[in-house]
Amino acid sequence: MSKNYNVIGHSKPKIDGPEKVSGAAKYTGDLKFPNMLHGKILTSPHAHARILSIDTSEAEKLPGVKAVITHKDVPTLKYGLSPARWDENIFCSEKTRFVGDKVAAVACLDEETCYKALKLIKVEYEVLPAVLDFLTAMDEGQPLVHEEYARNINTEIHQEFGDVAKAFAEAHHVRTDTFIGQRTYQCPIEPHSAISMWDAGKLTIYSSTQSPHYFQHYIAREFGMDIGDVRVLKTFVGGGFGGKLEPTGLEFAGAVLAKITSRPVRMFYDRAEMFAHNRGRHAQQMEITTGVDKDGKILGAYANFKMDGGAYTSLGIASAYYAGALLPMTYEFDNFKFDMYRVYTNLPACGAQRGHGAPQPKYAFESHLDNVAKDLGIDPMDIRIRNARRPDTVTPNDFKINSCHMKECLERAREISGWDEKKKNKVPGRGIGVSTGSFVTGAGYPIYRTDLPHASAFIRVNEDGTAATLYTGSVDIGQGSDTVLCQMAAEAMGYRYEQMKIVAADTETTPLDFGAYASRQTYMSGTAVKLAGEEVKKQILEMASFMLSLPPEDLDCEDGIIFSKSRDDKSITFQEAARKHFVLRGPLMGKGVYTPPKLGGTFKGAAVGTSPAYSFGAQIGEVEIDAETGEISVLGIWDVHDCGKVINPRLLHGQVHGALFMGMGESVWEEVLFDDKGKIINAELANYKMLTAMDMPPIESEVIDSYEPTGPWGAKEVGEGSTNPTLGMFSNAIFDAMGVRVNSLPLTYEKVWRALKEKREQEAAEKA
Amino acid sequence: MSNVITDKDGVKRYLITLNVNGDEHTILVKGNTTLTNALRDQLDLTGTKRGCELGDCGSCTVLFDGRPINSCMKLAVEAEGHEIITIEGVAANGELDAIQQSMINHAAVQCGYCTPGMVLSAKALLTRNPHPTEPEVREAIAGNLCRCTGYVHIVEAVLAASRGVLAPDDGAHATAGGAK
Amino acid sequence: MYMPDYEYHTPGTLAEACTLLGELGGKVTVLAGGSDVLHKMKIGNLVPDHLVSLKNLKELREIRYEQGRGVVIGALVTHDGIYRSQLLQKHFLSLPMAAHTMANTQVTNIGTIGGNIVNGSPLADLPPILIALGASVKLVGRSGERVLPLEEFIVGPGKTVIAQDEILTEISIPDQPTTGSTYKKFGLRKSGALAVVSVAAAVTVEGGAITDARIVLGAVAPVPLRAKSAEASLKGKKVSDEAIEEAAAAAAADSRPISDLRGSDEYRRELVRVFTKRALRKAIDEGHV
Repeated sequence: MSKNYNVIGHSKPKIDGPEKVSGAAKYTGDLKFPNMLHGKILTSPHAHARILSIDTSEAEKLPGVKAVITHKDVPTLKYGLSPARWDENIFCSEKTRFVGDKVAAVACLDEETCYKALKLIKVEYEVLPAVLDFLTAMDEGQPLVHEEYARNINTEIHQEFGDVAKAFAEAHHVRTDTFIGQRTYQCPIEPHSAISMWDAGKLTIYSSTQSPHYFQHYIAREFGMDIGDVRVLKTFVGGGFGGKLEPTGLEFAGAVLAKITSRPVRMFYDRAEMFAHNRGRHAQQMEITTGVDKDGKILGAYANFKMDGGAYTSLGIASAYYAGALLPMTYEFDNFKFDMYRVYTNLPACGAQRGHGAPQPKYAFESHLDNVAKDLGIDPMDIRIRNARRPDTVTPNDFKINSCHMKECLERAREISGWDEKKKNKVPGRGIGVSTGSFVTGAGYPIYRTDLPHASAFIRVNEDGTAATLYTGSVDIGQGSDTVLCQMAAEAMGYRYEQMKIVAADTETTPLDFGAYASRQTYMSGTAVKLAGEEVKKQILEMASFMLSLPPEDLDCEDGIIFSKSRDDKSITFQEAARKHFVLRGPLMGKGVYTPPKLGGTFKGAAVGTSPAYSFGAQIGEVEIDAETGEISVLGIWDVHDCGKVINPRLLHGQVHGALFMGMGESVWEEVLFDDKGKIINAELANYKMLTAMDMPPIESEVIDSYEPTGPWGAKEVGEGSTNPTLGMFSNAIFDAMGVRVNSLPLTYEKVWRALKEKREQEAAEKA
Repeated sequence: MSNVITDKDGVKRYLITLNVNGDEHTILVKGNTTLTNALRDQLDLTGTKRGCELGDCGSCTVLFDGRPINSCMKLAVEAEGHEIITIEGVAANGELDAIQQSMINHAAVQCGYCTPGMVLSAKALLTRNPHPTEPEVREAIAGNLCRCTGYVHIVEAVLAASRGVLAPDDGAHATAGGAK
Repeated sequence: MYMPDYEYHTPGTLAEACTLLGELGGKVTVLAGGSDVLHKMKIGNLVPDHLVSLKNLKELREIRYEQGRGVVIGALVTHDGIYRSQLLQKHFLSLPMAAHTMANTQVTNIGTIGGNIVNGSPLADLPPILIALGASVKLVGRSGERVLPLEEFIVGPGKTVIAQDEILTEISIPDQPTTGSTYKKFGLRKSGALAVVSVAAAVTVEGGAITDARIVLGAVAPVPLRAKSAEASLKGKKVSDEAIEEAAAAAAADSRPISDLRGSDEYRRELVRVFTKRALRKAIDEGHV
C-alpha cells in the first residue's frame, strides 16, 4: 500500500509551470489568426418576452461589421447537454426566456465595433409575465417557460429504497428541517471564448472548454456534420469548475459567422455576459426528515427537494438526480426516499458546479444531523462516527463502495483540529463545526448515450529515446492533470517524468477522452495512461532482453534504467533500448483504453451517481462571530481526505484548498442576486464576493493512507469532494458559536446578525 | 498632445510611445483604448490578462513606475512617459525570477490565469519590502483574485521567495528535477 | 466591455484646463486617476463627449504643510500616496489608514483623493474622515478660485457644487484641537469590499471630557452625513460608555439608510450604532488612528 514509487507519489513540478508563470501560456482569448474577426452575441434584456421583429439593417451598415446573424441564419435543431431534454436553440426565434438569452450575433473587424453593432440591432419585444420564483413556478396559473413542459416541471424524481415509513415508525426520534440553497456561479477567472474557422468544409474550433469531445459531438450534431469533420481543441484553460463543460453558444454562433464570412471568428463573453450565461449552482429548497434510534443511529431519511433550473436544462437533470443520489454516501442507512422537482424559471440556466448536485444537500443534511444530535444530546462528532460508512458496503441506491476511510477521516480531523479541547473549553463567540463529504471518481456513464470507452491514451517514445510524448484527450483546466498523467505515464514506462511531454485535448491529434468533469481524469484517464505506459514498458523490456540476452521476466525498468533483477552487472538505459527499438521495429508506442464496468441498479435514474470509486472526507472549521454585526471570521479549517493513493501531493492539496475555497465562498459570501425583473444585479466581481487572500484562514489538509483496489496505483478523486462538506461545516460552526441556525445559504453576516437578534428578543420575551 | 491623427470618420488617434519592459514602442491608439488592450492587441503581450475589465480581479496587473495597477483602469494615452513592466518583463534573459520559480516549486499555479498578475503584485511587494510578514503578503495580493488555489500555496511561495528558499519545506521536491 | 468615443484633451496648465472646461460644449468629464471614470464609462453610466485629463498638472501631486491652511493635499495624490505620506501619517494617521484600507493595491495606486471626492459617491471612503477633520476643498475656475468646506461640496449622489469650468485642486486639513480621529468601514469581505456602512469620528477630549466631536456616516444617506444629534449629545460630556452608547444610538437615528444588495436599512442602522460606538471609543482612546 505504501510502496515507494519513483515518479508517482512525489510533488513533481507542474509541467506547464514555466509557461504559466512567465506569461507565455496562451489561452483561447490570447490567440490571433490572420484575417480574424471578432464576434459577439446580442442577448435579451427581458426575462420573458415574445420577439415581434428583429431589424439588423442599421447594424449591417456600420463600417467594420462583416456579418449579422439571427435565428434565420442558423440550424433550428434544439441542443442541450442532457439528451433527455434538448431545449435550447442557437438563437431564440419566438421568445426569449431569461435576461441573457441569445438573440443575434455579429462579426466585426474589432471588438469595439461588435459592441456598437449590437446596440444597432433593433429587436421589438412583447414583454411577457415571467416566472422568477422557483417555489411557486409549478403553481396553477403561472406562465409557462416552455409551452411543452406543463407546470414548468423540467425533471421529476420519485425514488424509494427500503421502507422509510417503517423506519420512521420504529425510530426513537424523527425530525424535519427545511433549508434553502442559493444560486452561485463557477466564476473562472478566464472568460469564455471560442475561435471558429472553416477549411474546405471542415470546422475547427479553439475553445476554452472542459471537454473537446463533448463539444465536438454536440457541434457536429447541430450542424449535421461527421464527427471527423469537426475539430475541437483547447489551449490553456483558465479554470472551469463545471462552467465550461457545455457549448456556450459562442461555438455555434462563431461557427456560423465564420462560415458566412469565410474568416476565423473569435467570440467571447465579458464578465457580465458570463454571469448571464451562468450554468452555475442551482438554488434549491431542501426538506430533510430523518429517523434515528436513541443512540443517533440513522434508520432512514427522506429528502424532499425543489430545484430552480432556470430557463434551460443544461446538465440539470443530472444535477437533480445527484442531489439525492449522493446523500446516503458518508453515513450508512438502509431506508431512503427522494422526491425532487427541477422547475423551469425565467432565469439563467443552472448546471454543474464543483461538487455538482451534492454540496447544498450536504449542507442541509449536515446541518440537520447536528440538530438531531442536539435533540439527543450527542456530540456532533460522535453521531457522525457512529453512522460513518464502512468499506466494501453498498448504498441503498446500489452504489458499490470499495475503499472507504470515513471513520478515520473523522477521527483524524478531530485530532488535528483539537476538537475535544475546543468543545470542552468554549471561547465565547467562537464555534467549531464538522461535516463530511464524498464524491464520485468519474461518472459511471457518459453524458450522452454511447458505447465509446471513457478514456484512451497513447504514448510515443522519441526515436532516440530522449523524450516521450503522452497523447490524451483529457483536459487540464488548471487542476494539473497534464502533470499527474505524465507522472503516471513515466511510472508505468519506467521512465523519467522530466523527459515527458504531453499533447492534450485536441480531437484531431489526441485519442478520445470525455474530459474534465465529475472528478474523473486521474482515475479514468490515468488508467488508460497506465495501460499505455505498461505497453511501452513491455516492448522496451523485450528489446532489452534481446540486447542483453536475458529473459524479459528477469528485467525491469525504473527511472530510465533497465536492469536485471538477478544480476547486478547487467543494465542498459531506456534511451539505448528505445533507439534500438526504433531502428529495428519502428516507432515505440503504447496505447491504453478505459471503460468502466457496468455499475449501479436498474431503477429509473440509477446511472447518476454511479462511479467505480468514491472519495470520502471530513472537514472541521472554527469560526469567530462578531455578535454585534454578525461578521464571521474563519480561524482555521482542517480537511482530512480519503482519496486513495496520492499521485502528486502538492497538486492534491491544491485541489483540496481550491475546493474548500469555493465551498467557503458559497457558505457565507457568494450569491447571484436578481432584481424583480430577473436581471442579475451583481454580475461583476465587486459584489459577487469571491474571497481574497486576506479572507482565507490557515488551512490544514491531510490525507489518510488509502488504497482503492480498482484505481490506477490505488488512486481516486479529490477535486470536488472537498467542496461538499464545507457549507454544512460553516453552518454547524456558526450554530456552535452562537446557538443560532441559519436555514438558508449563504450564511451572510446580516442573516447571522438577524438570527442573533431574534434569539435575544425571544429570550427577553420568555423572561418577561 | 501633439501627434494626433484624425481618420476619415473624424475619430482621433494618438501616436504614443510606451516604455514596456524597457523597450520603447510607438503605437497608434484611440483615446478610449485601455492599457490592457494596447498591450495585448498591439504589442502581443498577452500575459496581461483580461478577467473582469472593471478593476476587481487583478488579472491585468502591470507595474506602473514600479507600482501594481489594474491596466484595465488606465488609458493607454495616459501611460506615456511611465515605465511599464508586464509579466513578460519579469524573467531576465530567460532566467525566471525567484518568485516565478518559487510559484512553480510550490504548485502555486493551477489554471494560471491569475498568475501573471499575482507574480507582479508579489514582485512589487518584495521590491519594496524584501522580508514581508504573511499578512503583508496576503494584503499585497488581495487585489488578485484566484479561483483555483485558495491562495494557500501562493502565499507559501511568496514567503519562500522572500527567504531565498525556493523549494517547499515539505521535502516534496527531493525528487524533482524538472522545471528550471 | 468597451468605452464610448470621446475627445481626449491634455491641457498643459491649470489655467488652460479651466479655459478648456469652460469652452467645451457637450458633456465634459475630468479625468484624474481614472478608477471611477473608466468604471462608469465601461458600465455605460457615463458617456462624455470630452475627457479632460489632468495628467500634466504635476503640481497637484504634492502634499505639503502651509502655515494658516494646515496640511494641503493636491487633488491628484493617489490613495497610496496619501497612505505613504510621512506628513499625513504624523498629523492624522486616520486619513492614511482610510486611504490604505479602502481598496486593494492596484486601485489605491490609480485612484486619487480628488477623484474620490468629486465622484460624489455616498460610499466613498475619504470624504467621511476628511469632513470629520474639517477639510476644505479649493476649486479653481476661469475667473478665480474659491475655498469651501468639503461638507458643503457634496450635495447628492454623484452631485457636487463644482462648476463646469472648475477643477478641484487641493484639499486642506486645518490645524485643529482634535485629540483623536478614526475611520471605520464595514464591508462584506476583508479586501475589495464596498462600504455597507462607514463611520468617521474626530473628537476633542480635554481633562476627561468631550469638548467637541464630529461624526460622519458613509453609505447611509445620499451624501456623507454629519450625525449632528450624536455630536450634540457628546458635547461637554465626561468620557463614559454611557455617553458613547447614547451618541451611537443618536447616530443610528440620524442615519437614513436604504436597502440594497449589500444590506437592509434595518441592518445598516444597527451597524451605524455599532461602528459609531467603536469609532468613538477608538478615537478617544487611541488618538488619530
